Amino acid sequence: MGNRVKIELNSRISYVDLLHEMTEDLARRAHFAKPAALDLALAVREAFINAVKHGNGMDENKKVEVEFERNAVWFRVRVRDEGRGFDWDHSPDPRAEVNLDRTSGRGIFFMKNFVDAVSFNRRPGKGTEVVLEKRIEPPARGQAEPGRSQ
Amino acid sequence: MKASVRHHGKVTVVDLSGKITIGDGDIKLREAVNALLDEGRKAVILNLHGVSYMDSAGIGELVACYKRAAEKGAKLKLLNPGGKVQDLLILTRLQEIFEIFRDEREALTSF
Repeated sequence: MGNRVKIELNSRISYVDLLHEMTEDLARRAHFAKPAALDLALAVREAFINAVKHGNGMDENKKVEVEFERNAVWFRVRVRDEGRGFDWDHSPDPRAEVNLDRTSGRGIFFMKNFVDAVSFNRRPGKGTEVVLEKRIEPPARGQAEPGRSQ
Repeated sequence: MKASVRHHGKVTVVDLSGKITIGDGDIKLREAVNALLDEGRKAVILNLHGVSYMDSAGIGELVACYKRAAEKGAKLKLLNPGGKVQDLLILTRLQEIFEIFRDEREALTSF
């Protein structure tokens, strides 16, 4: 990909698989190994679901903007909703004994575990932005960039 | 996600394949387990060998199935989680809740 790709999606949960595939593909082109590309896609998946459910309140007319950006060192994904945002500060620890059998509440935890850095930015009057960053693994010597012929 | 059911006497094995994620796999998993619990099945093994990955909704549904089974006096156990699924079970500490087996025969005789 070029250095930056931006897409805008309606708030439909069904779009998450499309976004997942796109993320994995872009990550592979950026030299991520398959497991790392899957981790990034899983993090983006959780950010998108949060944006649709908790950010935009499942309102299909509201948009989720996803921006992919890379340089030689890192791959960054910004996921922005345009709703009321969500409370990331008070998400309970799903690994705490008392929360182990909860049926929800693992989305933010997954994001934090699948990438190297996560930040949440309130955009007053505009919603929330989640920024996911993963360091790019340098390709092995002589290895072609995935998706490009030699 | 696909789910196919095998019965071994009183024990039922559900072979799952694909991904267990929001809006598809989680719903199919719920339907498959609910159908067995409604039939009165008390011993269920979820064979995760063919499951490539799960998201938080899939993990949540797995926990929900475990709790529904317990409410109905049934037991739900896991068999053969693969690389990523195994990682997720460890990451979420769910391996401390579920009985997890590598060998199907051992799982079948554990009830």
